[in-house]
Amino acid sequence: MTDKLRISVSGVRGVVPDALDVESASKFASAFSSYMEEGTIAICRDFRFSSQMLQMAAVSSIIASGLDCADFGRIPVSFLQFYLQKKSFSGGIAVSAGHNPLPWNAVILLNENGCYLEASEGAEVFNINEAESFQKAAWNNLGQVKKHKFPLELYLENLSSLIDLKQIRKSKFKVVADPCHGVVSPFLKAYAGHFNLNLIPINNIPKKPFPHPPEPNRENASQVEAVVKATGADFGFLLNSDGSRISLVNEKGIGLSEEFTVPLCLLSLQGKIKKAVTTSVTSTWTDWAAETSGIRLLRTKVGQSAVSHLMEVEEAEAGGEGSGSFALLPFSPGYDALLSLTLILDLMAKKENSLSEIISLFPKLFHKKLKIPVSAEKTYRMMDRLEAIFSSEKPDFSDGIKVKRQGVWFSIRPSSTEFILRIMIEGISREIIESVEDEILERIET
Amino acid sequence: MRISDLKISISGIRGIVGESLTPQLLIKFSEAFSTYIGGGDIAVSSDTRPSREMVKYAVFSGILSCGACPIDLGILPIPSLQIYVHEKNIAGGISITASHNPIEWNALKLIKKGGRFLNDYEAEELLDLYYQGKFRRIQKPEQVKQEKNPFFFHEQKVLQLTDTKLIKKTGPKVVIDACAGAAAPYVKEFLEKLGAEVKCINCEITGKFPRNPEPVAENLSALCKAVKKYGADIGFAQDADADRLAVVDEKGIPIGSEYTLALAVQYYLTEKEKTPVVVNLSTSRVISDICAKEGVKLFQTKVGEINVSRKMKQLGAGIGGEGNGGIIVSHVHPCRDSFSGMALILEYLCRSGKTVSELRTSMPDYYMVKGKIRASYRDRKRILTRLNARFKKGRTDRTDGLRVDYPEFLFHVRPSNTEPVIRIIVESRDKEKTKEIYDKIREEI
Repeated sequence: MTDKLRISVSGVRGVVPDALDVESASKFASAFSSYMEEGTIAICRDFRFSSQMLQMAAVSSIIASGLDCADFGRIPVSFLQFYLQKKSFSGGIAVSAGHNPLPWNAVILLNENGCYLEASEGAEVFNINEAESFQKAAWNNLGQVKKHKFPLELYLENLSSLIDLKQIRKSKFKVVADPCHGVVSPFLKAYAGHFNLNLIPINNIPKKPFPHPPEPNRENASQVEAVVKATGADFGFLLNSDGSRISLVNEKGIGLSEEFTVPLCLLSLQGKIKKAVTTSVTSTWTDWAAETSGIRLLRTKVGQSAVSHLMEVEEAEAGGEGSGSFALLPFSPGYDALLSLTLILDLMAKKENSLSEIISLFPKLFHKKLKIPVSAEKTYRMMDRLEAIFSSEKPDFSDGIKVKRQGVWFSIRPSSTEFILRIMIEGISREIIESVEDEILERIET
Repeated sequence: MRISDLKISISGIRGIVGESLTPQLLIKFSEAFSTYIGGGDIAVSSDTRPSREMVKYAVFSGILSCGACPIDLGILPIPSLQIYVHEKNIAGGISITASHNPIEWNALKLIKKGGRFLNDYEAEELLDLYYQGKFRRIQKPEQVKQEKNPFFFHEQKVLQLTDTKLIKKTGPKVVIDACAGAAAPYVKEFLEKLGAEVKCINCEITGKFPRNPEPVAENLSALCKAVKKYGADIGFAQDADADRLAVVDEKGIPIGSEYTLALAVQYYLTEKEKTPVVVNLSTSRVISDICAKEGVKLFQTKVGEINVSRKMKQLGAGIGGEGNGGIIVSHVHPCRDSFSGMALILEYLCRSGKTVSELRTSMPDYYMVKGKIRASYRDRKRILTRLNARFKKGRTDRTDGLRVDYPEFLFHVRPSNTEPVIRIIVESRDKEKTKEIYDKIREEI
């Protein structure tokens, strides 16, 4: 399965070099530039070994199509999305694979507002790619490459305008940070200085191999848990390698589910926004938090493309997913872990409560997330079979299969970024989700 | 017959930007080269064409993809790149330059360990890899390295072999025309270090070539004017990648590329060392005359720098080159090098106390005509056989096309590697005779 490329609106993803290589990256950049026709493409990358190589292939292709290239170097995708919305670029390309493990990488395509491409736009780019009908500029009409520095001050200023900066600064939070040796690392110190945090960073050397799988969640939180306990910090957090997702560790050193991120952000935004979008598989906590904060919550398919699209259509200010991702307009259309962190700091500063006290108000729910590797050929047959099995329970088919029962619901859907089935179970007791887990696994195996 | 403007051959890959030379092709070709080299460092430099950035990014990504590590040398003459690869003892080099081709073209020239071009067999192996598309792509690519002072080794080597004290004492006035090419950032300082007083034309990088980059008489009018205007002792012109050299005398008249090589060879043999001389089969007899006078042996090889330089190495020849203004000084590096050429000729000027025109007229006069005739790939062999039969009284050499020597004239016809043409040179002591033979051959073809 490592030789297959995942092509979707959330980017072109795959294992380097079996699926994603310099040629495919260059072709997608040519197709994207051809689709955009003119102007400047902003580009950034993360610290993965293969990112410079893939980025250079993309840069060559952008300028060969006659578009200029603004190279922002190594910054989080969320920073690029933030800046795309502020300035007039034609679009953006990020070479960064976020939560995917190390041999993976991705070429992510962004429109002029910093949003993921809509499905129809993405299809157009992929068609140009397949036909290889690329725009070619003559020798005296090629694009130029210009290095750009990301305006961190502007970013921090914009973040500050969302919250009560004085209050946060006064709180002098002591925080343990685990950026997973990722692309946010170089910016953490300035962030902490701005918000007057006493920051204790671990796994903070970019370029180093990931110290644990780059998904922020409870399973990967053991280092942060230990450091929070040892230092008596107010809380801790983990980021994925490109700084779009965040999960938390409370002041007792207990790792929290990444499902807390979106509801905490919504609680923080009480009175500031009217509508928010999340996906069909995000925890019921989100409904509770939205209701508590007087926010109308809408649900759509999984993925940043679908969420941004519905945000635009419904004029919703916020969007997020159970993976620990959250975006807020007009700040930026991109999932941004530092935005989530800032909102959570604001919530804690306002409430003057510890993280565990805030969490204790949430309804008592348990979660289980499973990843089952399945080859692309088998995926859809398996989904058909599962649909048939659960059809009597009238599932929601808007993204995979979602079945609701008394005190528990579960969802089974193929991932758009990896060759796996993702299973989410939420219930009111451990026992009930364990019995559902057993049932699903049995159904899949037979 | 349709003829592609993309040329993938044993000389590398060459094409027109915006038409055939796409990033995807450049990436694939660089992947093939990186696979062929099998890891290690690959130095990459370019001339000043505006497409250099597009090509460079593609080349870097291709090199990285298959495990080697690119070193970015920026804009640099091709001989300086060869010397860098040799001195740093690295795995290879790629020069991004279409040499004397017009500005819309670009190309990759491939350099192996030791700083030499790939020979025919090696190039064929590389093409095999390219066409099969089976590249050794790796999971953990390297990161690009930067070189701040890429011209250093080249400059040092030439300065070491030159009597700069002598040149400084004489202080010749030089006009240099770098064709806004790869030599532009370096050549003024270089000539000053040699001891010359320097005026520059076309030494600014503008992204355009101010003249046709081939350093032949009809492209040198600006230099000729400048030499007269400044009252200079000599004018030098380089091509875009600075391997070839042309000389203009103190009267503002180009002496011709064959005599550029002749000046260098003459001086090297009388002042530096007596060694065999190697040139290609398309080179003037003036070199044979010099070798005969100096009592050294002359060898003639197939056209192509690699063929000349390999023979030089085999024989321990100190000097050689090509009649198109490609001077090779082994002790600097076995490659065509306009910088070594300028150093030798300036030293000659100062040592002899003569003017360039005096030095030129001290040599016998030959008249050479160069041309090319379209001929389909299929017909070319037949044409050569017919010519061979027609001129069978002369001494013939079939090493590279057909070279025929008569006492009073010579000609060399050879099929081009990259175009459906036959290249012709004819030379004799008499202008009319040369023209007559040239027309005769054209007719035959």
